[in-house]
Amino acid sequence: MTLQRRNNVHVSGSGRATMFFAHGYGCDQNMWRLLAPPFAERYRLVLFDLVGSGGSDLTAYDRKKYSSLQGYADDLVEIVRELGQGPAIFVGHSVSAMIGLLAEVKAPDLFAAHIMIGPSPCYINDGDYVGGFSRADIEALLETLDNNFLGWASNMAPAIMGAPSQPELGVELTNSFCRTDPDIAKQFARVTFLSDLRSRLPLLTKPTLILQCNDDLIAPMAVGWYMHREVPRSTLSIIENIGHCPHLSAPSTTRMAMERFLAQQGF
Amino acid sequence: MQPSGEALLKAAACGLVHTDAGGTFLRVNRTFCSWVGYEPDALIGACRLQDLFTMGGKLFHQTHWAPLLQLQGSVSEVKLDIVHRDGSTLPLVLNAVVVTMEGKVVHEVAAFVARDRDRYERELLLSRKKLEETAAEATRLEAIANDRALLAEEMIGIVSHDLRNPLSGITLARALLESTPLDDSQQRTVARIGRATERANRLIADLLDFTQARIGKGLSVALQAIDVHEAVGHAVEELAHVYPGRALQHVRSGEGESMADANRLVQLIGNLVSNAMVYGRPDAPVTVTSSIDQGAFSIAVHNEGPPIPPEVQARIFQPMTRGSSAGSASRSIGLGLFIVREIAKAHRGTASVASTAEGGTTFTTIFPRA
Repeated sequence: MTLQRRNNVHVSGSGRATMFFAHGYGCDQNMWRLLAPPFAERYRLVLFDLVGSGGSDLTAYDRKKYSSLQGYADDLVEIVRELGQGPAIFVGHSVSAMIGLLAEVKAPDLFAAHIMIGPSPCYINDGDYVGGFSRADIEALLETLDNNFLGWASNMAPAIMGAPSQPELGVELTNSFCRTDPDIAKQFARVTFLSDLRSRLPLLTKPTLILQCNDDLIAPMAVGWYMHREVPRSTLSIIENIGHCPHLSAPSTTRMAMERFLAQQGF
Repeated sequence: MQPSGEALLKAAACGLVHTDAGGTFLRVNRTFCSWVGYEPDALIGACRLQDLFTMGGKLFHQTHWAPLLQLQGSVSEVKLDIVHRDGSTLPLVLNAVVVTMEGKVVHEVAAFVARDRDRYERELLLSRKKLEETAAEATRLEAIANDRALLAEEMIGIVSHDLRNPLSGITLARALLESTPLDDSQQRTVARIGRATERANRLIADLLDFTQARIGKGLSVALQAIDVHEAVGHAVEELAHVYPGRALQHVRSGEGESMADANRLVQLIGNLVSNAMVYGRPDAPVTVTSSIDQGAFSIAVHNEGPPIPPEVQARIFQPMTRGSSAGSASRSIGLGLFIVREIAKAHRGTASVASTAEGGTTFTTIFPRA
């Protein structure tokens, strides 16, 4: 099976450097629709789905391999090695920012820079560390997933009601976005929200942009500050945004912060 | 909204909510307020829809609801628990759609109480979990059973192998005894020791073949160009000595050399003839037929006597299968026919049985000649 098929890879744009976009838990590469396209004028773009999400090959989902984020990081290393041209800039949302971190630790020559959108190295509070959640909260999420996927089992994509307000949204999207095998979604949720990569943060020595929303339930401000303290060459940029997906709800602010960082790094 | 419409919506049979793009309440109807236990003033401009969800719901809202609403413009049939002012939770099914009102993005949300559906779905989930546990337990037990069976078969192999040493000791001691002067009664005893030792050796050979066939890669055969009639003829001659007083005949047809393992064919005939002697009518002859055709040769052993019931025929080549008519004196552990089939298989051949009251019983093995 090709890697392109496995991870539903889409390449566009051209430029001296390649930007790799990895979506977070819950959805797929369509998350980048409002943010990524303008970058194609100056960069080569590689968008893909994590195995088990979106249009990836579900037969490639190996419960053992993906029982930790390392399985996803190994895939990322393969993707960058095969499709990278020039310096590689990794853009990871949420859990994928940590997948990028693990790929960096495994292959330190791979990336030239990291852009992390709403990253969190650990979601669960631990002593002085504020991750924002208790273990019981995460269990509650898993239960909510159970409940919802039951309702979606035979017709998992929520039906469209009325005309979508965004005309740029293709109809094909609505049938696959945010939809995956319930068992995979459950395992991925567990792996995501129970991960703890705090000890690895100092190993990330490449220029790193941390995009932190000022009002984000999943990655609260305290987590952004913690990341900034622990990642040696990091820049912290706060985005005025409610929620965990500034690339959807504040795409132009997000893009400007990214462009400023890329210009500073000479890409 | 028209005043009459306003009145209708206030008392609608579902909760109706408008929020801004961030989730802050702009308008709520009475139904929704009564479900969550807040006055409209406590909600409008004061808090966000997602603030009322349980923690699991808040996370789901962030990972699924918000991205869907932003990209797709709507979500439907999302089931979340909402926390009432008194701390109790209420399962709601929510639909939401993004609209623009006076130039501003507004989320219109309709909510339905889903207590019964929730209860039903929880029961379903519970049953599914139980089923998964049962299936996992069954798989676990099966694995244990397989392990035990494998261990038992390995033990058979090891013990059979180790029994050969004391048996060769007995054989040697018998030979020494035989060379000393013996009276008649002693000679009979020594002869009995010899026959018993031979039977034990045959049994051990069968057991070793059985373990090799079950655990290893099947029986080994050394194929050579042989005259099948000659090999069968020798076997029948030797067997005639083993069963004095019983009629054993050899019928042959066709000519030519075939690729086969002569020792294995002798073993196969021995097993089939022994079977025929045990289960066949003692006063009727047992017939061994060897036939050579263009591409194949066959060896068949026929006896008269009561037929083998169809249900026994179906599994007769499985190990540990025995006909029921034989008395306890001729008990064996039932490996003979299993080994017959394994010998045929190792030659890329087949073994079959036909048995009727009129025609008697015939075991037929067919082998390719090359």
